[in-house]
Amino acid sequence: MSIRNTIPPAIPRRQLLSQMGAGFGGIALSALLQEAGSGHLATAAPQTHFDVSLKQPHQAPRAKAVIQLFMHGGPSHVDLLDPKPLLTKHDGGTAPGEVADDENRTTYLLGSPFKFSPRGQSGIEYSELLPHIGGHADRIAVIRSMFTEHRNHEHAIWMAHTGRIIPGRPHYGSWLAYGLGTENQELPAFVSLPDPAGLPVDETRNWSAGWLPPVYQGTPVRSVGPPVLHLHPTKARAQNTDAARLAFLKELNERHKAGRPGELELDARIKSFELAARMQLSATEALNIEQETLTTQRLYGMHEDKTKSYGKRCLMARRLVERGVRFVQILMQGQPWDTHTANTAGTKDCCAQTDLPVSGLLTDLEQRGLLDSTLIVWGGEFGRTPAAEQRDGNIAKGNEGRDHHPYGFSVWLAGGGIQGGQAYGATDDFGYRSVVDRTQTADLHATILHLMGLSHEELVFGRNGRDERLTDVYDAHPIKALLS
Amino acid sequence: MAVAFQTPPIVANDTQPRKLTFVDDVLPILTSRCLKCHSGNRPKAGLNLSERPLVMRGGISGPAIRVAAAQSSLLWDRIATGEMPPQGPPLSGAEKGIIRTWINDGAINQAGEDGEVIDSHESDEYPLTESDRNFWSFRPAQHHKLPSVETSHRMRTPVDSFVLHSLQQAGLNLSSEATPETLLRRTTFDLIGLPPTPEEVTDFHQDTSPDAYERATDRLLSSPHYGERWGRHWLDIAGYADSTGVLGADYPLHFMFRYRDYVIQAFNQDKPYDRFLLEQIAGDELVDYHSAFAQEERLSPKIVEALIATGFLRTAPDSSREDFNTIKNVEALYYYPTINDQLKILMSSTLGLTVHCAKCHNHMFDPISQQEYYELQAILMGAYRPKSWIPQMHRRVPEATKSQLDSAKKHNDQLDAEIAERNKAKEVLQSKYVQLLAELRAAELPDSIREDVLLAVQEKAAERTALQSYLSEKFQTLLFPASEDLTKTLSDNYPEYTSNVKTLDAEIASRNGRRAVFDEIRAIYDLPGDVPTPFLHRGDALTPGHLVEPGVVRVVSAPQQFAWDRPTAAVPTSGRRLAFARWLTQPSHPLTARVMTNRIWLHHFGRGIVSTPDDFGRAGELPSHPQLLDWLSIDFADYRWSVKRLHRHILHSSTYRQQSAFIPATHATASQQDPENKLLWRQRLRRLEAEPIRDSMLFVGGRLRKQIFGRHIPLASHPNGEVTNAPNTDAYRRSIYYQVLRSKPLTMLGAFDQPRMKTNCAVRDQSTVSTQALTVLNSDQTVNAAQAFAAHLESEAAKNPVSTAIRIAYSRAPRVGETETMTAFFESQIKRYQQLQKEAETAPEKAPGAPRFQALTDLCHMLLSSNEFIYID
Repeated sequence: MSIRNTIPPAIPRRQLLSQMGAGFGGIALSALLQEAGSGHLATAAPQTHFDVSLKQPHQAPRAKAVIQLFMHGGPSHVDLLDPKPLLTKHDGGTAPGEVADDENRTTYLLGSPFKFSPRGQSGIEYSELLPHIGGHADRIAVIRSMFTEHRNHEHAIWMAHTGRIIPGRPHYGSWLAYGLGTENQELPAFVSLPDPAGLPVDETRNWSAGWLPPVYQGTPVRSVGPPVLHLHPTKARAQNTDAARLAFLKELNERHKAGRPGELELDARIKSFELAARMQLSATEALNIEQETLTTQRLYGMHEDKTKSYGKRCLMARRLVERGVRFVQILMQGQPWDTHTANTAGTKDCCAQTDLPVSGLLTDLEQRGLLDSTLIVWGGEFGRTPAAEQRDGNIAKGNEGRDHHPYGFSVWLAGGGIQGGQAYGATDDFGYRSVVDRTQTADLHATILHLMGLSHEELVFGRNGRDERLTDVYDAHPIKALLS
Repeated sequence: MAVAFQTPPIVANDTQPRKLTFVDDVLPILTSRCLKCHSGNRPKAGLNLSERPLVMRGGISGPAIRVAAAQSSLLWDRIATGEMPPQGPPLSGAEKGIIRTWINDGAINQAGEDGEVIDSHESDEYPLTESDRNFWSFRPAQHHKLPSVETSHRMRTPVDSFVLHSLQQAGLNLSSEATPETLLRRTTFDLIGLPPTPEEVTDFHQDTSPDAYERATDRLLSSPHYGERWGRHWLDIAGYADSTGVLGADYPLHFMFRYRDYVIQAFNQDKPYDRFLLEQIAGDELVDYHSAFAQEERLSPKIVEALIATGFLRTAPDSSREDFNTIKNVEALYYYPTINDQLKILMSSTLGLTVHCAKCHNHMFDPISQQEYYELQAILMGAYRPKSWIPQMHRRVPEATKSQLDSAKKHNDQLDAEIAERNKAKEVLQSKYVQLLAELRAAELPDSIREDVLLAVQEKAAERTALQSYLSEKFQTLLFPASEDLTKTLSDNYPEYTSNVKTLDAEIASRNGRRAVFDEIRAIYDLPGDVPTPFLHRGDALTPGHLVEPGVVRVVSAPQQFAWDRPTAAVPTSGRRLAFARWLTQPSHPLTARVMTNRIWLHHFGRGIVSTPDDFGRAGELPSHPQLLDWLSIDFADYRWSVKRLHRHILHSSTYRQQSAFIPATHATASQQDPENKLLWRQRLRRLEAEPIRDSMLFVGGRLRKQIFGRHIPLASHPNGEVTNAPNTDAYRRSIYYQVLRSKPLTMLGAFDQPRMKTNCAVRDQSTVSTQALTVLNSDQTVNAAQAFAAHLESEAAKNPVSTAIRIAYSRAPRVGETETMTAFFESQIKRYQQLQKEAETAPEKAPGAPRFQALTDLCHMLLSSNEFIYID
């Protein structure tokens, strides 16, 4: 592991080096600088072998696993989690100057057609579109003050997943696998559950490890048909011939290893075959929904056509984290929340697919005592405009769309280490801009790492002479108010 | 500072909004509300808001704004939340809007001017210290006498003198020589990426001449597959891919493969490394392509080759399209990243330096200034210009001269004219028959209404009476069929119409087929005209500063200075790349030869003399054998930069030829003193990379097709997520010939850590995970390879397939007891399959096939899966 302390960026390392040369040698930097006389900055020999064995966290973790419920397209915060009475009051009107849409992309204000009501003891307001999720209000912390840096889907997705609006960086799930390893070596550390109907926008890059070693990338697990690529051969083998093959392979490998003592890699590879054999069983078992009672299946909405698909993936996610998988990601096909037209109908439809299953997941995790150790992260890449999107021609009332909106939106967290029953931060009176406790993505990421026992400043990966980190150049802090 | 307060312009309502500026729009607001505290010699919180550069610099909390990102800017944050100003009412909505929009629009200082930024890490002043200049890799390599060593019988090449010397100083020694089988397998994989055949092993065994090994290495170095193996190493460094790969659409690149073939060829020909670099960086300028293009009849093969070589500078991700110019801040989002990535590839591959750190500030570790970064960028700026970007799809070089293009144009214009004539004739024909049809149909109408109908359909729609509207609606399509039915209706009624159209279509098709087209070359070329390269403050395209001229890193003490003269206006290329390449390839350049020597070493020992091959700077590792590296580098440059000579120095050495095995009894001291084996008291056990693993699996079954070069073989994804070669394409070529898509690597190669090219890759990662084992055990690719191996054995060695299998898979003779163990498995497995077959008589669909072949396939499959197959000693 190359988890090293970083020097605060305020002091250029080069400057430090020259100070050393100029007689500031008393500074205790021996860990950092070896052979200072030669002006050489010592680094550990570059690590070339990577695995997902368990690693020591930086501090006591509050959660062991994360389930990311990613809402591609950007859910409309003012219709779901961020009630705006003034927006409703001025429906059809124009916004006052300070919330003016300076990009001139929208027309009149569009109040939410959906009713909000206080839920739980905490009384946090949820939209009528989230009747089931709202039932968990006391476990959920809504962040109403998110903002992001780009209004294109891909860029904003990269921001949400990887911390920057540039492609090719690792998903935070990969960072978790890199920093913590995983508890169950028979299952992948990072599992992605894409919609069997099709991939989301940005496709396989949603679970990319970027420049982290490929061992940390997400393994897409299918919820229909064979779950993992090559889990079984195309033509099935009989159990006894297969067992004999593997025993023979082990014999070959042991004989080979005997002449090469001390080569740990060889052991690791022998182990990987044993794990693969067990994974054939464990992955099949882990994803066998049939083992669940009808009651549990109904909890996730698997009895309804509308909720069946998402519900199945939520249930698979629970089974995976229950078995020690570090990070599970659930994705929807395309970008269903991208309601440029008919926002009302589109948002309603997305909620109809997901509200019950997500609620079922929370209930089930709670009932099994897993919610305390599982962090749920719900949200999309941005929000949607509080005003109606400009379109050619007249749009019938009720059929208006909402455009992409990076300046203020909501996400929510629940589970391990989260103080539920709160709404953190706020947008302005119309839901345009995050104004109170403004939350940059880097803060959200730092919070997730923190809850998982990692410091976003210490979790680094040396690359091209630079210590890369999830929060990159941002001045990021875990959000204390969210922690229980 | 007194500034007249103006009514702020409302941007949203302007038809063509001018950009807000600091001086005209923002400063008046700041003056009235903020400067009381935030100006002067001791501004509050160290934040002075009276000038734009000072705003950029910020105060104790950091920079006050992030250009183009109001949402991440402290200034916006403080005023948006009402935290500032602390006294009086908060800023009005309009005032806030102005500040936000100003930041988002690029935080311009005043109209017609780009902002200047002051940053404490940014400076043109960058004094180099003695220790900077004396850092080992920035000084030219030194001549060193070969050190004298004791055990002279192990002294084979100068490599041994240096290695033995440092070993002996530590009281250590080389391990004993590897067995001939091991050595041949190691060398064969190292040089051609395939195992030696049993015949080659036997021949080597039987060759008792003293130079048997040297001749074996010569045979391998002159194999055409040598270039495939070593070309692939270079392609990693060059960041080779057959797709553009930035956005979701990872467009395939159709002509990149010519660069891949160039690289293979260059290694096979032992093209001098200096020439190799010159061609790749400035091939067009080197061979004067531009004059040849303008004056010659045809491009000579030499010119074509040099152009193809410049594909090296077209490897960075670039998916730019024409419509990108509508994207806000497109330069910073797309164009600069491409040029920065390409510069990173160029610098890390040739100089082993990580210059990209200096994009936003002076380098943290190495004495490389931000100014120098932009001077380096200016070298590529002749070709890549963010201000006048050519979308990558349009950056095309046809393999043709001007005269060829002109005559092709003439030829094609003529064809186009002829095609246009025929299209016109088709239209005329159609309207003629439409008219005929209308007349025919009209004649069939009852006499009583014919006149009225014809009048109605000919009347303008708006002027029809109610009756006419009714008639036209009713009869319009009868007289004049709708366009989708027209062709069919006409051909039903007039067969001669159809045949006439057919004739014309055939004439058009034949002309389209005769069009003159040229192959393309994915080359780099400079655009004509002046090449302004702005210094970018904080690396941000929205904050350009002064213009810089091309230059290089000053701390690198190359004897010949970088020399570049501005070309006259008549010269069509800027000469910047050639000037850089000449500076780079001077024999005594401190880095060029060392960096390449180190890469060659890396692939023979699994670790470089410098273990960070793309970082020879301070953050990199120091060389384990600095004098050896110098000696080899000087020899390399002295002897026409011959890579093959370098191989021989290494391969022929006792150092290379020693055993890799760790023997606890003999190596106790060594493993304690030098646990990482930096001093090379033994060779290293190495895992094969993805390509040799896949290639060998095919090779042992006799399936691998050894054809070299050619267009990449396209890939296709399957519903289960697997990526293989596309249907009906060759599945048995060497891995280097398959399309490299950044977004979806060939599954079999991706599983074994073939890098996904974000930029380039100096050292591959190596992972050992269970999903990899699943691919080996269960993918159709490996199952098929095992079956082919088994079939090969049945036809070649039906009598003793087991021992032959060992000879083929492991390139060695069976060991004592080994054949017996394997035969035991083979036979027991046959029995299992026989039993299964018996059971299957009741359920034939479960029949596993011929028991003996099944069992042999299993045996082969396990050999291919075993550690011995994919590790080399």
